[in-house]
Amino acid sequence: MKAFVEVDHLSLQFDNQPEKNILSDVSFQLDQGESLLLLGPSGSGKSTLTFCLNGIYPKELDGNLQGDVWINGKQTADYLPGQLSQQVGVVFQDPETQFCMLTVEDEVAFGLENISFPPSLMESRINQVLEMVHMLPLKKEKIHSLSGGQKQKLALACVLALEPALLILDEPTANLDPVATKDLIQTIHNVKQKNNCSVIIIEHQLDGWTAIAERCLLLNRNGQIFYDGTLRNAIKDQIHQLDSEGIWLPKITQYLLQHAPKVIQNPPLTIEEFSNQEFLWSQTEWKDMKQVRSLRSNVLLDASDISLSKNNKKIIKAISLTAYEGEFIAIVGANGSGKTSLSRLMTGIQKPSSGTILVKGKPIKNWRESDLRKEIGYVFQNPEHQFITNSVFDEVAFGLRIQNKTEEEIKKNVHSILNICGIPEYANEHPYTLSQGQKRRLSVATMIINNQQLLILDEPTFGQDAHSNLELMKLLQERYAKGTTIIMITHDMELVNNYATRVIAVDKGEIAADCTPEELWNKAPEELNQWQLEIPIPVQLKKRWEKGQNYVSTSS
Amino acid sequence: MFLHHLNPSIKALTIGLIVILLALIFDPVTPFILLLFTISLTFIGGRVDVKKYLLYFIPFSILAFGMLWTTIVFADTPKNPEDIISVLGMEYPRESLLTAIALSLRVLSVASLSLLFIFTTNIVDFILSLIQQLKLPPKIAYGVLAGYRFLPMMKDELAVIHAAHRIRGVNQVLTLKERLKQYKRYSIPLLASAIRKAERTAIAMESKGFTGDKSRTFYRRFTITSKDWLFIIIMLAAFTTAVYTSIKLGYFNWYNGEI
Repeated sequence: MKAFVEVDHLSLQFDNQPEKNILSDVSFQLDQGESLLLLGPSGSGKSTLTFCLNGIYPKELDGNLQGDVWINGKQTADYLPGQLSQQVGVVFQDPETQFCMLTVEDEVAFGLENISFPPSLMESRINQVLEMVHMLPLKKEKIHSLSGGQKQKLALACVLALEPALLILDEPTANLDPVATKDLIQTIHNVKQKNNCSVIIIEHQLDGWTAIAERCLLLNRNGQIFYDGTLRNAIKDQIHQLDSEGIWLPKITQYLLQHAPKVIQNPPLTIEEFSNQEFLWSQTEWKDMKQVRSLRSNVLLDASDISLSKNNKKIIKAISLTAYEGEFIAIVGANGSGKTSLSRLMTGIQKPSSGTILVKGKPIKNWRESDLRKEIGYVFQNPEHQFITNSVFDEVAFGLRIQNKTEEEIKKNVHSILNICGIPEYANEHPYTLSQGQKRRLSVATMIINNQQLLILDEPTFGQDAHSNLELMKLLQERYAKGTTIIMITHDMELVNNYATRVIAVDKGEIAADCTPEELWNKAPEELNQWQLEIPIPVQLKKRWEKGQNYVSTSS
Repeated sequence: MFLHHLNPSIKALTIGLIVILLALIFDPVTPFILLLFTISLTFIGGRVDVKKYLLYFIPFSILAFGMLWTTIVFADTPKNPEDIISVLGMEYPRESLLTAIALSLRVLSVASLSLLFIFTTNIVDFILSLIQQLKLPPKIAYGVLAGYRFLPMMKDELAVIHAAHRIRGVNQVLTLKERLKQYKRYSIPLLASAIRKAERTAIAMESKGFTGDKSRTFYRRFTITSKDWLFIIIMLAAFTTAVYTSIKLGYFNWYNGEI
């Protein structure tokens, strides 16, 4: 008998790059009920493989495909249009663009209507799948009123309604905050146990997923499979290639590999596994977390009592805060808590409904726009939004040209900035042709060209592979060392712990906490949960360890 | 309420029919009676917010008044120049005045009919009913629905791009030429992301088994009931009454090329 999924020597090229293999000789099998982590750096063809599995390719492909894909004993090309959706269901990365109806129930019904599901049974099926993802009370809601996490659960419900035997999750948590992510993973875990379906998971952040799938399939930059086996063995045998391809490991594993290299023989993938392996504790050399705490010096930005309302909804409620020179501030909080709005108020792109903001002691509204931009840089969530010109060089030069600098000076400055950002060889490319990580660094480049003293970034690390991330943080760290004050919105608590000197937690438009990272981790767990925050791995470990110590000392 | 529960397609067809019938007639009385009737029906038969309704009605009123004024001022030489009506101390030829009033009441009457439809119909219901009753191909219908979801997203995105370019230090635009240039600059990121989003939506729809095929079942079925027939009869009756009154009063006139 054949396996449920059988991919046989699959290669694929797009028409615009006929000589480059997006997928190259990919072969694997997946049994009914078996699950798989599909990992690889950005651009390794993970999403392309997804499209091959659910029959979008070769039907919609502008390019060439060689090899076969068999699902349930039948080639994908032999399925009638639309039929494959009952075998393979996909949840995509962007929760916003997966829907075409306006209400929750209509959206779930859409898929059922497509497969000519009997109308008399539809209602009960819709209720059943909404119940499964705990969304039944929201059945009549409008989709646009849902949160990101709820939208992803709805997308999951839509797919589950078709009862596919294989569920593919293409970075489903990329846009979610840590707590929503945990919730979605838990939901998928339950679904898998209930339906006994196969799951293929494509993710950058592995934490939590390892309990669902042991096996992993690793792709490299050329779209080849370089490993097929358990993740544990992959770490043991392929650690160098994992590292050079920029594939993320679970955070705990990553941390331990840095601090206790011997762990590699049997690397734990979750905190629980780690705590159950007593001997690991003794082997680990605990380095003290480096504490570089800046002294508060000159006030750079001072906001007092600022509020912002939009459509009669209070987004920011009377926030006061002061940013000093030489700080590295992380702003954290749930999706929709007002982090982005707060950061925009600080840059002056949005005016507060009430309250005042002083930049270097002068009210922000009295600054000339062009002078203000020389003080404050802002990097948007989507770097493409900020690009204005047709080449990387012009993009960086733009900020200098509007100041009428000489062409020679511009050239010198631009090249040095491009070098700092690690993209000197792309000077003549169009900004849109860069990779995601490069685009991000380019947008940072355009914002530091004037030696801006304050740099504000809105979720700069989101959706990037490990390499791009590291390079970006290195770049920011360098700027910080040179005296730039940095304010960064992020969901990544490891970053907060590693880099920030101060952390501001925003909850429902108010500042819930404003302290150092250590102080934040010591707050009550209920509070952190309410703000949708998670304690970073090293701190979790340390806490468990201290608890263990206490236990030992009191019992003896 | 009655109007909200009608079949959207039948409602649209009925209103279209009345508009066509109205176009055949050119006198002040018929559209006036129909206008009064339509507005009363909207508020009796539907749940409509008066403030919002008035807000939508204002532009049509301005348009109608403008037409009234220009038609009087630029009227052809009347056949009976002696036949004069005095309004607010000014004297107008009776013929020109009647033509002008007929014209502007026509505009208002058509406006009120359209508003009756718009205020009592859910767009999704309308499109679903177009597929079910009028055999609109699902490919087009669901495309329109997906596009409808896109509009607010595009609006938000434009605001973000505007802010993003301001941060880069692009000057505020003042002249028309600069403004055109600015829109050209916005169009690339906006289009790039719109195309990407549209592609994602298309792929997501296709992954859920959408083929554009007509053989599909419906979760929400729209049928034609006696209520719909009643609506057609009511509207036609109202129209006939208006025409009859107009004939009785001696104003009735087929449209034959006035204005």
